[in-house]
Amino acid sequence: MTYVVETANLTKIFGGKLIAVNNMDLEVEEGTIYGFLGPNGAGKTTVIRLLLGLIMPTAGSIKVFGEKMNLNSAHLRKRIGYLPTDPKLPNKMTPITYLDFVGKLFSQTKDQRISRLSKLIRSVGLLPSASREVKGFSTGMVTRLGLAASLMNDPDLLLLDEPTSGLDPAGRKSTLDLIEELDREKTIFVSSHILSDIDRICTHVGIINEGKLIYSGSIKEMKKHIQSNVLRLELDGDMNTFCDRLASIGGMAAFERRGNFTVEISFVSDTSTLKAIQDVLGLIVECNLDLISMNSSTSRIEDAFLKLLEEEESRGFTRAV
Amino acid sequence: MDSPEQFRFIEWPMPFLAIVQVDLQNLFKSRMTYGWLIVGVFLQVIRVLSAPYIIGTSIIVVQGLSDFIFIWSMLIIGITASAVSSETGELADSIMSKSVKRHDYIMAKFTSRIMYVMTVYLLISGVLVGASMRMLENDYDMNGLVAALLLVALALIMLTILGVTLSMVTSNTVISIVSLLVLWYSMTIFLPLLDLEFMSPSSMINELPDIIQGVWNGEEWKIGTSFAGISIIAMALSVLYFSTKDL
Repeated sequence: MTYVVETANLTKIFGGKLIAVNNMDLEVEEGTIYGFLGPNGAGKTTVIRLLLGLIMPTAGSIKVFGEKMNLNSAHLRKRIGYLPTDPKLPNKMTPITYLDFVGKLFSQTKDQRISRLSKLIRSVGLLPSASREVKGFSTGMVTRLGLAASLMNDPDLLLLDEPTSGLDPAGRKSTLDLIEELDREKTIFVSSHILSDIDRICTHVGIINEGKLIYSGSIKEMKKHIQSNVLRLELDGDMNTFCDRLASIGGMAAFERRGNFTVEISFVSDTSTLKAIQDVLGLIVECNLDLISMNSSTSRIEDAFLKLLEEEESRGFTRAV
Repeated sequence: MDSPEQFRFIEWPMPFLAIVQVDLQNLFKSRMTYGWLIVGVFLQVIRVLSAPYIIGTSIIVVQGLSDFIFIWSMLIIGITASAVSSETGELADSIMSKSVKRHDYIMAKFTSRIMYVMTVYLLISGVLVGASMRMLENDYDMNGLVAALLLVALALIMLTILGVTLSMVTSNTVISIVSLLVLWYSMTIFLPLLDLEFMSPSSMINELPDIIQGVWNGEEWKIGTSFAGISIIAMALSVLYFSTKDL
């Protein structure tokens, strides 16, 4: 197995006061889309800056493409693309002049730069604004230009720091679509606190809380981790009769009404779940209710994330061991 | 086919040159530059036109050059002391996250700011010297005049390098501007106390009339060497420091 990113005991303490990253062992396999999840202030951006060699670790080591990353590893950064949160772009430049500048920073020849920037401006949908100054751009346009800049060197590793932050739903969708369209041979490391974005595009996930990596693995394994088998139903009709009769269904551990239309049902075990769901659906028909929506919380990354955070915090002092 | 060594030789200066080019474009396109040039040239022309003919070139040229040391130095401090600190937020994101070496970035900043200050200095002082030579009584020696222009240029280069250095060390534009203002204007007071008066910009100005008239006393070499020495040491320390600094 080839790892594009490997860290060992990675620790960053700012000014001897703030422990931003705490003894982190992170491994990102080649070709994966790795989601880096964590609440605001958890240390996601600090980890990305460490991976880029913009700041030095207080302790521990970082390897990118199998080589030690440090402040002067310009040759490693040549293979990395980076989209910061809220990219700050020079106001007086146009997308063409900015991407040309970025190409020069990667020591690309004029031919390489022109061909690459033309392709990228088109792919991120900025062709109509290609010669407009950046200062009038919306947040979505700036993000798209930032994404194009991060791809200028056709990187093997792409680091995206909260790429959908501050975007409206349409902007979010188009940004996620762009990321999904990227070459599958690239390794993509996406930090976010928006769980649905990670769920949509990532194959693997790491969860960071207070600078500590509390989970790293595939999204499937993470979802399996909760296995609470809860079914959420949103119904319209006589909910009281439905709830009275629900108690008699076998294989069901408990149910709880949430508001006037929603009921959450927990099942005892995997083996009886299917039969119990059939019975619940039958009961809906018998009670003449309209089924507005149905979803299983085992598929919800939010639940898995919260459960892992709760577990980690409940470990108290043993977290240090 | 190019050998790897040849390839590296060709690609090395590109990030450096790109940063210099963008920095110079931003500086020269700014309104401040137009303002500085217009006001600077206007003042020199007025100075020459209003001077009685009996006042020689040397006096008027020294007066004009002292503007750079005592007045325009404030503008230079503002421009240079914000070179790195003003873009600290976007610096890491836009430039240093690319394939740019630390020394390329800081050397590019030194280069662009020095080129900018020297261009404006040469344009304004060129007008001053040209007008003085045509309209006033010529009491200058050509070698002395060139030496005087070079000495002031060295002083401005030193100020520029100190500004960029402070901007990089403090990462705070206001702190670096205030520190450099205090440093620059207190040199006149404190350097004589340390028997280093020749290093102060004001004592250099006092020497200029003699130098322009071709009267050499050896001080000019001491002044030039000390300015160059301070500049080289500050530049070297900056490169070393920036190579280990968290952004």
